[in-house]
Amino acid sequence: MGPGVLLTLLFIVTPFVLSIFLSFTNQRLVPNLNIPTEFIGFRNYERVLGRPDFWNALGNTGLFVALIVPIQGAIALGVAMLINSKLPMRNLFRGVFFIPTVMTMVVVSVIWAVLFRIDGFFNQFLDLLSFGMLGPVDWLTNETTAMGSLILLSAWQGFPFQMVIYLAGLQAINPELYEAAKVEGSTSWQTFRHVTFPSLRNTHVFIVIATTILGFKLFTQVNLLTQGGPQGATETVVQLIYQNGFQQGKVGFASALSVVFFLTVLLISIAQRYILTNEETK
Amino acid sequence: MTTKNTLAILLGATFMSTASMAAADITVWHHGGRGDGERDLIAAQIDAWNAANPEMQASLELLPEGSYNEQVAAAALAGDLPDLLDFDGPNYANYVWSGYLAPLNELVSADVIANLSPSLIAQGTYPVDGQLYSLGQFDSGLGIWGNKAMLEEAGVRIPTGVADAWSGEEFEAALAALQGLESVTHALDIKMNYGQGEWFSYGFSPIVQSFGGDFINRETWRAEGTLNGEGAVAAMNMVQGWFNNDYIVPASAGDDSFFGQKNAALALVGHWMWGAHNEAHGDNLVLLPMPNFGGKQVTGNGSWTWGITETAEDKAATAALLEFLLQDDNIVALTNANGAVPGTLTAMASTENFAEGGALSLYTEQLQNDIAMPRPAHPAYPVISASFAQAFADIASGADVQETLNKAAAAIDEDIEDNGGYAPFGQ
Repeated sequence: MGPGVLLTLLFIVTPFVLSIFLSFTNQRLVPNLNIPTEFIGFRNYERVLGRPDFWNALGNTGLFVALIVPIQGAIALGVAMLINSKLPMRNLFRGVFFIPTVMTMVVVSVIWAVLFRIDGFFNQFLDLLSFGMLGPVDWLTNETTAMGSLILLSAWQGFPFQMVIYLAGLQAINPELYEAAKVEGSTSWQTFRHVTFPSLRNTHVFIVIATTILGFKLFTQVNLLTQGGPQGATETVVQLIYQNGFQQGKVGFASALSVVFFLTVLLISIAQRYILTNEETK
Repeated sequence: MTTKNTLAILLGATFMSTASMAAADITVWHHGGRGDGERDLIAAQIDAWNAANPEMQASLELLPEGSYNEQVAAAALAGDLPDLLDFDGPNYANYVWSGYLAPLNELVSADVIANLSPSLIAQGTYPVDGQLYSLGQFDSGLGIWGNKAMLEEAGVRIPTGVADAWSGEEFEAALAALQGLESVTHALDIKMNYGQGEWFSYGFSPIVQSFGGDFINRETWRAEGTLNGEGAVAAMNMVQGWFNNDYIVPASAGDDSFFGQKNAALALVGHWMWGAHNEAHGDNLVLLPMPNFGGKQVTGNGSWTWGITETAEDKAATAALLEFLLQDDNIVALTNANGAVPGTLTAMASTENFAEGGALSLYTEQLQNDIAMPRPAHPAYPVISASFAQAFADIASGADVQETLNKAAAAIDEDIEDNGGYAPFGQ
């Protein structure tokens, strides 16, 4: 066995198998001699599936994914097309647009926390736009705005990754297609609709699946800015796993959550792949 | 210098360092404190002990606070616990329950124990056997800071001590009057910006307890009927009312509404803000007792304290070191640096701020008047605290009080059942 196989076994396969094993026990984060770890059958799974907490978290995560995939994809494609044109200093723009993704999410969250403050940028902006009629809104502790605020922040931080992929996709489109479109007198919308967009089919497939999986992992922003609140409106599955496993030390229960969550994401990814590739062969 | 010489020196150095290690008869763990000089002072105190006790050397190890609990548990499993270690508030209960700590009643002299703040004794007394397992050099103080000019402008009576503290109605009337001032955006800062965590449990449990509620019944050790009982529900309904009336500074307003922007008139927070508040307000700052919200006056207490492990080889010597740390000059050196309340009666009396008439003497009065109620010393404390903090956050954002507390109580009791009731608790 090469070192690659060994490392994969050690750091990916072992923890994975271990979490399946632990999900059938009452394992604690900090083992205690007074209470030995025991097998408890499917009790953790009954609790995961039988409680509103998990379903609420899954619903929130699903909502986040359903919104972040189109929003982030659209921003990424738009910006990629902008910096794909023959702008002066376009390399500078490419670099600048990539900055948010290079920054760690922790830093981005802290900066955005300031923007979301009651006297912060968004409220000043709202005040200005509405001539003082609206606001101030407490964005992160208001049930109706909390998730939207997180989506905005996440899209801003994440879009450059998809942008770079779209940029590569755009550059792979045969320029003859554009010339042909020009000869036929196609408008820029028609060119986009019938040349650019369909030519990016494989890129779209990759972007949708990759963004979906990334979106399901939503945690850092939630943990730093809302801790799942207000009233569970931004509770995500990973945040729930963290709270149970690390804050309350219920490793067995958290493992069961992870396993259920893994299966959910796996199913969705398979379904996406099946639907998207089937469409392709039509 | 030749290689040979260098080698000799290196060998010598190695030998010397092993020698000094071997001479360390007492090992000490400390969490390092918050960067306000605590760590250096503890190190200096251990050095002073070593200089005075050449035959009984102590060695200090500093561990990062973030994962302190886990490191203690790991060391216990490996049989590697130090002789003397410190821990945060109610966490000691889990150590005692796990059999890590030795009772201190026989080890530490009665004079030292008698001189300790009653609040520290209350916190360190393990409910199952009534023995004392933790002793602290200092305690925390919780009260309400007020902007004197604003209180006077709103015509609010300013209490002078525990005896004439505000009642619940008086407090709510004060909030309403202060909220009406032009210079006030939100009347009361309760540090929502600290986020959902231990602050919620430490800072707001006195409100629940004032109404006769609590996190958990301290006899049956179940939360059902107590955390979601009448008292707790009444307390949280009152708190929710403050939020509904917009009296409370929101988390997104940041930390400085009371002492920076000065658009909050009152601040419910602990002793650690004394420096910032004093600097910003000077003579305009008043420290007020915890109001008698619901029939019983309660304040919070508890901080990092010391305990001796069951595995300590020479418990008598370790206890002597603990007594040394509890000497007034060592205590005062620490509390002058971190602003906490000195842990002994004599040290309180000899420190300007905490002595009678001092700027922070209210803390002394509160802690000595037996109104401080320690957080429950129960092995499930991490779950108890997390469940309450979650419930508080939900209630603050408008959730149904009874339903939310029912859920929190059920979560706590479930953990207790899952762990066999944490026997001998509740038996």
